[in-house]
Amino acid sequence: MTVDQLIDWFPISATWPGLTFLLAVLICAVPVFLFIAVYALVVIYGELKISSFMQDKVGPMGQGVGLHAWRWGLLQPVADALKLILKEDIIPASADKKLFILAPFIVFIGAFIAFSALPFSQTLIIADMNIGVFYILAVSSLGVIGLIMAGWSSNNKWSLYGAMRSAAQIISYEIPAALSIIAVIMLTSTMSMQGIIQYQSGFIWGFLPNWLIFNNPFTFVAFFIFFISGVAECNRTPFDIPEAESELVAGAFTEYSGMRYAFFFLSEYANMFVVAGVAATAFLGGWQSPIPGIFNSPAWGLWWFMSKTMFLIFVMIWFRWTFPRLRVDQLMSACWKGFTPIALVNIFGVGIWYLTLG
Amino acid sequence: MVLNIGPQHPSTHGVLRLKVVTDGEIVSDITPIIGYLHRCFEKHCENSTYEQVIPYTDRCDYIASMNNNFGYVVAMEELMEIKVPERVEYIRVIMAELNRIASHLLALGTYGLDVGAFTPFLYMFRDRERILDIFELTCGARLLYNYMWVGGVSHDLPVGFVETVYNFLDYFEPKVQEYNDILTFNKIFIERTADVGVLLPEVAISFGVSGPNLRGSGVKWDIRKDEPYSIYERFDFDVPVGQGLVGTMGDCWDRFYVRVLEMIESTKILRQALKDIPANGDVHQALPKKIRPPKGSIYRRTESPRGDLGYYIISDGSPQPYRLKMRSPAFTALSVLNEISRGWMLSDVIAVLGSLDIVLGEIDR
Amino acid sequence: MTDNQEQLIQEAVEKALQGDMDAVNNIEDRVTRSKAKAALVKAKREAAKTSAEPSSEDKSEESATESKPAPLSLNQKIAGIIASQFPGTVDEESSSETHIQLQPAKWFDVAQYLRDDPACLFDSLQCVTGVDLGEESELEVRYNLHSMTHRHAVEIRIECARNNPKVPSVETVWHIGDWFERETYDMFGIEFEGHRDLRRILLPDDWEGWPLRKDYEVQETYHGIVVPKVKEGWE
Repeated sequence: MTVDQLIDWFPISATWPGLTFLLAVLICAVPVFLFIAVYALVVIYGELKISSFMQDKVGPMGQGVGLHAWRWGLLQPVADALKLILKEDIIPASADKKLFILAPFIVFIGAFIAFSALPFSQTLIIADMNIGVFYILAVSSLGVIGLIMAGWSSNNKWSLYGAMRSAAQIISYEIPAALSIIAVIMLTSTMSMQGIIQYQSGFIWGFLPNWLIFNNPFTFVAFFIFFISGVAECNRTPFDIPEAESELVAGAFTEYSGMRYAFFFLSEYANMFVVAGVAATAFLGGWQSPIPGIFNSPAWGLWWFMSKTMFLIFVMIWFRWTFPRLRVDQLMSACWKGFTPIALVNIFGVGIWYLTLG
Repeated sequence: MVLNIGPQHPSTHGVLRLKVVTDGEIVSDITPIIGYLHRCFEKHCENSTYEQVIPYTDRCDYIASMNNNFGYVVAMEELMEIKVPERVEYIRVIMAELNRIASHLLALGTYGLDVGAFTPFLYMFRDRERILDIFELTCGARLLYNYMWVGGVSHDLPVGFVETVYNFLDYFEPKVQEYNDILTFNKIFIERTADVGVLLPEVAISFGVSGPNLRGSGVKWDIRKDEPYSIYERFDFDVPVGQGLVGTMGDCWDRFYVRVLEMIESTKILRQALKDIPANGDVHQALPKKIRPPKGSIYRRTESPRGDLGYYIISDGSPQPYRLKMRSPAFTALSVLNEISRGWMLSDVIAVLGSLDIVLGEIDR
Repeated sequence: MTDNQEQLIQEAVEKALQGDMDAVNNIEDRVTRSKAKAALVKAKREAAKTSAEPSSEDKSEESATESKPAPLSLNQKIAGIIASQFPGTVDEESSSETHIQLQPAKWFDVAQYLRDDPACLFDSLQCVTGVDLGEESELEVRYNLHSMTHRHAVEIRIECARNNPKVPSVETVWHIGDWFERETYDMFGIEFEGHRDLRRILLPDDWEGWPLRKDYEVQETYHGIVVPKVKEGWE
């Protein structure tokens, strides 16, 4: 259900086009926002429990009744969210007030509007643009501005350090990510998200899905390059120098508290979803079913998309609790001297493969 | 830019303040500012009896309390020429070595935490809990024991102690291999720590660095072998020395790896001690009724998990020490921080500080 | 006292005089054991009185003293070497087998010599202890030096006046002298001449007084906070 379809559906679209557009956008945006909120709760809970199992702990446990009973502690993330909302809102006296207040919103916007191009299912996409994946890559760079604003306006050397490192990291890792997507676009000849998924329909040898990850060895490598660059863009370990707890306390977000901090948190998780969603779409077939013939309906499509994305998010969480973190200059040299050359070679390779082997 | 790390900071291992002068990310000068945990230990000792000093020594290096006690009682017993029964000697060695393993586990775990590896920290603490349970079984305390007294120990070993420690050793030895797999030879960890903060042997000796820090630079010096005390001569164990396996000799990785190997050596000593410990004996036999050492002074060093722990005791014949000075190994280790981390990046300063394994209680006393 | 007990005590004391304390310590009965210990002390006292040679009370385990009479301890040997190189610095009367007493004036040169001379090679400064020798007496600084190559150690003591204590600094000879001397300055007020940055290390910079001196009076308040008094006595 795209915005365009919604506009056509409204009976008043002819007389008040502006109002109709506004309504249509709101009707699409509010569920996305709610989805991000609920998804963040789920992923926070998942991170706590998964990390606990990996670290031989028990994690959040329940001592109450209903949802908060037994060993599941399901209300823990709700408690966390409530706590963050109810906290005192502290703005340091020497901070730059306007920028300080504006920063979380810009970071969040960068992650939020990328959701409009994610194909949740065959029919469930807010705007099926013909520049879909390009749009997502472009828009997710908005977050950098917000981060630098946050670091600068806190008037705190630690935050400045964190913001500078973070900006350098995100901007650098955009390049291997974009180059890997170019390898995909070369094959699919379209940048539209639905178009990329359509290209991956069908099955090789009857059972292996025609996903781009299986298509040729260069896109196989491109998947890993894209995924790792995505993890770096989200500032997750092993690339979480900007928020390295044991070094810079909380990096760029040291001075934030309460709801503003919650916004940064939310946008980090939203970013994770976008990266995982794009990886699932471009390389793993999006909402397509891996089993030939069945589970093809739009409802099943939503299920397949969500499960592929959630699996990739699980892998990101797994990374965080396994690896130590890389130092800033090692990060940057890995990007510029490692990933970017490999991504460039990939592009060549895909072209040559396509020309020679069809 | 002048940055201030601490005194409240997640990875300064206590209340330590570091004044760092940076040029971008490169550090040009570090000044450690200590004294936040100064509790006038030495002045208190002048107003307490010799027995009452022992709990004070516990609280200096609170992570390796048994070894602190051990150093003090060894010095006192040499001053007073007391010889303790065999069983007491074996008990002391067992406790000291168990505490060495516990202290190294904490040092290695928190070091992993400093460089970003959250999981090994919890695994090592889980194993450290088992050691603390053994201590609780023996003397009732988990961290500060007041266990070793001049002339004996406070409590005899409980029933089933030997078996408990054997179980722990059987459980623990394969774990060290696990830690090597997950952290020591992890590529990212090696990149963070190899070739970083190289400590040359001459610099180390001039700065008075000792223990695993000195051994990581290739100098084979262990008080248990070179100036033996108690019954350490009877045990057969190696002294691991840094060899620059994955980088320069004397870098952070070497100091880390020396501690890992030392844990294995401690398990060897423990096994030998448990086999030979005399089955019976009164641990309170040689306790003097009143501690009145003859006039004189003594300086005695023992090997604590952090290095050479020295006690300089001056006695004037009364039941209270005239002067008691504790020479702590972490004090000297911290003084070398400026020397070895100049020219590196800010993240490396944290890595180097973690590898020196300091405890502020010992530095400030 | 029964005959058996007497005999037991006799045997235990004989064994203990030869060095084996286990015989005394292993006596089960508390009363007998304490009697044995008393008898041992008496026997030792008599042995000390009758023996012609005074037993050397060598408590420093690092000295290379042998139990036979004659050879000089390491401290005395090094004292001799220093006296020959730097005449007038060694205080012969106060030095003993366990320590060397030096005059403060040329301490820096002596320290360098001790570090560099091939026979000494004291490359490690182990411990610097400040001592207050008593309310009517002076202050003293004691250095424990150790050699990693020769594996021997000495103790050097330097006395300085109470009113204006000054000792040459050796922080350029052994780098750890920097922090050790700052600590001694902090606790005793002894000024180390030539130290480039002599300020307090453990106490705040604006603290008044030298805590480890015997005549130290703790200040009443510090920046408005009442300073608690250190407990006097041990009862």
